[in-house]
Amino acid sequence: MERWTRTHRNLLWAVSAVTIGIALFLVFLVAPREATMGDMQRVFYFHVPAAWVGYLALFVSFVASLLYLRRRESRWDRLALSSAEIGLVFITEGIITGSFWAKATWGVWWTWEPRLTTSAVLWAIYASYLTLRRAMEEQGRRERVAAVYSVLGFVAVPINFMAIRWWRTVHPLVFEGGGSNLTPAMLRVLIFCIVSFTLFYLAVLSLRLGIAWAEEQVEQLRYE
Amino acid sequence: MSLARQVWTLVLKDLSLEKRSREMLSSMFIFALLVVLVFSFSFDLRVEVMSGVAPGVLWVAIAFAGMLGLARSFVLERDQGCLDGLLLCPVDRSLLYLGKLVSNLLFISLTELVVVPLCFALFNLTFHWLLLPIVLLGTIGFSAVGTIVSAMTVHARAREVMLPILLFPLVLPVLIAAVKLTGGVLDGQPWREIQNWMQLLVGFDVIFLVVSYLAFEYVIEE
Amino acid sequence: MVYLFAAFLVLWSITFGYLFILGGRQRQLSQQLASLRSQRAAPAEAPRDRAMPEEG
Repeated sequence: MERWTRTHRNLLWAVSAVTIGIALFLVFLVAPREATMGDMQRVFYFHVPAAWVGYLALFVSFVASLLYLRRRESRWDRLALSSAEIGLVFITEGIITGSFWAKATWGVWWTWEPRLTTSAVLWAIYASYLTLRRAMEEQGRRERVAAVYSVLGFVAVPINFMAIRWWRTVHPLVFEGGGSNLTPAMLRVLIFCIVSFTLFYLAVLSLRLGIAWAEEQVEQLRYE
Repeated sequence: MSLARQVWTLVLKDLSLEKRSREMLSSMFIFALLVVLVFSFSFDLRVEVMSGVAPGVLWVAIAFAGMLGLARSFVLERDQGCLDGLLLCPVDRSLLYLGKLVSNLLFISLTELVVVPLCFALFNLTFHWLLLPIVLLGTIGFSAVGTIVSAMTVHARAREVMLPILLFPLVLPVLIAAVKLTGGVLDGQPWREIQNWMQLLVGFDVIFLVVSYLAFEYVIEE
Repeated sequence: MVYLFAAFLVLWSITFGYLFILGGRQRQLSQQLASLRSQRAAPAEAPRDRAMPEEG
């Protein structure tokens, strides 16, 4: 992705901007009004994609960390760092929009039920990952140790997730049991939103990767 | 030397170091005691049924005291230059992990020998044999992750702060499961209601033991 | 509903805030790179002159 030219990147930005514009249009004007919750339900079309992209970005960071440990090429470390930072931002958005949703539907801003707890823990893990990187000065060791932490952190996610499966939860299990509580029209809008957010993630990733590469160049030039 | 002997030699090294200075164990004991006392005191002022908070207090005390021990265990090595010495040993790097893990387990368990009875006394709890495996498994999970994370923070700035910051999010499932299980057993809940948490605890222990064992060499290499 | 509007406000503020920060960092880095590169191409003469004050 770093080797893409300016034109490629601008194209990606344009495409994602257009799809997000369409998504906004769909969410507010096309998606049907939900029976019990009314218009507030529309937050759902942004809450789910934000959380989805957050998890995706952190997964990418996990895989990049593994690759870095195996191959020690700095481009994997740059990808791990960039995707972790972006993932943290999206998870934050997911948690906050989810909190608004919770307030509107269950009357509380927060509750310590499994899925929310998992998201909070995941947030803490990757916030710690970024803090760790900043606290280590030795180059080489910093990237290695951070990569190990990213692996440990992501392995913790399925374990937390399992806790959801075994415990009663208040969180709407929309996709439980093979069916879904959404009408086909809603599902289509949701999927489009997920796609548009993913494109947006790729665009931001390209920007962030460029920054990581530039930072490395500066380091090299300074200490030659 | 067989694997077991190698690991045991490493553990003996830590034990003899501690026997000479005694500073780590005593600080862990005192700290855990203080945590339990402070919590039981402050809750007593507000909470009607003390046994409700007992599991939480117990595991918080274990976690905090444990963190103290974990922090010390690698810092000592680094400050005295022992870490380089260890790395020069003709020992598989991952065995260093096992050695550290066992010593950490021993130290935390010794602390628990003091803390658990204290909690039982202050909160008027009744003993149940299931608590032994629960505490053991919880400690194993905590130490498995704690050992590798303490190795990671040894080279970081502000390492006393970094260790809890890095460790807590990872170790949270263990603490939650341990507290749920302890509470369930003390309340007399039927086993099938809480057995899921036991599965989670065991699963966590196994997964993190394996992952930490494999990842340790990357953390400790020069 | 107010919550809907507030949620969107927060979501897009965070998003654009982050993009803004990234953009700033990129600009700063480009400047740094440019100055570092030009420094390497032509080692600066000025500091040497300033270090040795004119006499007489």
